[in-house]
Amino acid sequence: MDPLAERYLRPEKWPGTACPGCGLRLLVREILESLDGLGLGLDDLVWGTAIGCTGRQTFAAWRGDAFAGTHGRVYALATGLRLALPPEKRILLTVGDGDAFTIGLPHLLAAARRNVDLTVVVGDNLGYQSTGGQFGVTTPPGSRTDSSPYGTWEPSWADEGLDVLGIVREAGAAFLARHTIYDRAGVVESVKAALCTRGFSLVHVYYPCHVHFGAQALGSDDLGLIARWMRQQYGATGVLYDARGRRAEFTERLRRHVAAVQGGGSGHGG
Amino acid sequence: MRRTFDTGNAAITEGAILAGCRVFAGYPITPATEIAENMSRRLPQVGGTYVQAEDECAALHVCNGAALGGLKAMTATSGPGFILLSDPFGWAISAEIPVVIVDAQRVGPVSGITGAPGQGEFYLSRYLAHGGNYETIVLAPSSVQEAFRLTVRAFELAERFRTPVTLLADQMVTDGWEGLELPETAEEARAMGLRVVERRAHPGPDFYPATDAIDVPPVVLGRGTGAACSDWTPDERGLDTEAVEAQHRHAHRLIHKIRSHRELIAEHEALALDDSPDLILVAYGTPARVMKSAVAAARARGLRVGGLRLVSLWPFPDALFSRPARYLTVELNWDGQLVREVRRAAGAGAKVHFLGRCGELPSVTEIVEAAELLLGGGTLRRRGWDAEAW
Repeated sequence: MDPLAERYLRPEKWPGTACPGCGLRLLVREILESLDGLGLGLDDLVWGTAIGCTGRQTFAAWRGDAFAGTHGRVYALATGLRLALPPEKRILLTVGDGDAFTIGLPHLLAAARRNVDLTVVVGDNLGYQSTGGQFGVTTPPGSRTDSSPYGTWEPSWADEGLDVLGIVREAGAAFLARHTIYDRAGVVESVKAALCTRGFSLVHVYYPCHVHFGAQALGSDDLGLIARWMRQQYGATGVLYDARGRRAEFTERLRRHVAAVQGGGSGHGG
Repeated sequence: MRRTFDTGNAAITEGAILAGCRVFAGYPITPATEIAENMSRRLPQVGGTYVQAEDECAALHVCNGAALGGLKAMTATSGPGFILLSDPFGWAISAEIPVVIVDAQRVGPVSGITGAPGQGEFYLSRYLAHGGNYETIVLAPSSVQEAFRLTVRAFELAERFRTPVTLLADQMVTDGWEGLELPETAEEARAMGLRVVERRAHPGPDFYPATDAIDVPPVVLGRGTGAACSDWTPDERGLDTEAVEAQHRHAHRLIHKIRSHRELIAEHEALALDDSPDLILVAYGTPARVMKSAVAAARARGLRVGGLRLVSLWPFPDALFSRPARYLTVELNWDGQLVREVRRAAGAGAKVHFLGRCGELPSVTEIVEAAELLLGGGTLRRRGWDAEAW
């Protein structure tokens, strides 16, 4: 077992039950490098997850405190948890593209608007893969999947110049980055920056699902082929938006509000 | 003791504050909005947090998250919001999170009428989560003062049983104004029978013990215990498992931690039952107050009528219905909900009748007439659009 996994992960949860060759393991490895780079220990971070490949396969892998929410609702759950935890305790959420950008989007945007101190890593495998491969809102246009046997026709957020992270930015996020899993140094640096953000941060990482997406949309489950395709498809990545420190964090505002009310003021947190 | 004149909504707010609730997350909805408003005013005064959530589903998730971090939390809603709690309610049931939910029942189905009382969520409060395999605790106040007491009680039971507890009120209780006595000291609170159980944190490693024990501290994250908490079937440490045996143990705990200790939850008011009456009226919430008057009026007419006012609704108090009597439920719905459960509890052959109304209360006279008819061997019948009865 590699030393970082040994230090940070429960042995019975690593390498876990994700499909052989799944890119998710590399994503977890990159996150661990970020934690190690920041010198974070098991008590410094609470790790939350959701449903789908990214959520299910990462639940409780963390040897520290861990939780999983229902599909799309973990942003609200984590907002409540943030209220209760001290500010120095980091909250990391590893979620999938369906969880973050479809079923959970209103809750994710609410967390961004409030600028809740959460770090969301969206592991995007381009659709609903744990249910066998159906298209999602980041699936490339025209893709054949099990629920689009003739190719997707409905507009997605990977089509016609649309970008779901634009919505998240406008909602009030403090830090946004995007990478493919193959940009190892980039992912590590962005996750580190996100974890050091006092506010809502999100790192969007594309990772390959060769078993479903590769086989259905690219016509091959060859790992090399999907890697080449993904590098080419998502070349221009990096930090997309950095507004760290521009807006007060949710619980900071709250503390000011409570202090003002208790001091007899109007409670306008500013 | 502070004597005041206020609404059920205000009573619930003060009960929650006294019980140690420090997070309220909600979404405005009539007739529970005033609880949110009161909480937004009161919580900052005591160092707590009011969160106006993006919807009711998020509201209870925020409460669950706060509870998971070690704070006591509550949400309040009405029918259309209550159904949206299904997802986080199920999460709290399975993850064993102490949290309190208030449902001020109004007239349904769905949006129905906002400012009139209904009792259409008797079964929904029992089966709010999908998937079955659990028991739940539901309490029903019938006055402003009782709403205060039962809110404190709901927090106590939530802590002891590690579970969400629902206060199933109706619009007349939440919106209604009545005299309200609020304790000002811990001694006064104790004298009123109020008990506050402080939040504890499970030390681990067996966060989900395979027993039906109560008073097990809940999982609290951020304490470095390596706790794992989710809505997946947990093993004893909280890790997700697909093992059917683990699911059996988990479901058994969720059901029997409550059923095995039902005597700690059960609460009712018995009215004129000492002489084994021929007919027992059964109600909860506001209609129970009319029923109480009807029992007195029937007795004044020489009818052998008694009454049961249910205070704890779930787990259902089956043992109350073992008397060899007829039963007549008085409910604020037209379809008959409580009556079905009384029929089940009373057993085959028992005579169980229903008098339903919705949006307004039945009159004392109409209940006494129904009682008289039943005792005279008659049959209750639906009266056009005026009353549903059988």
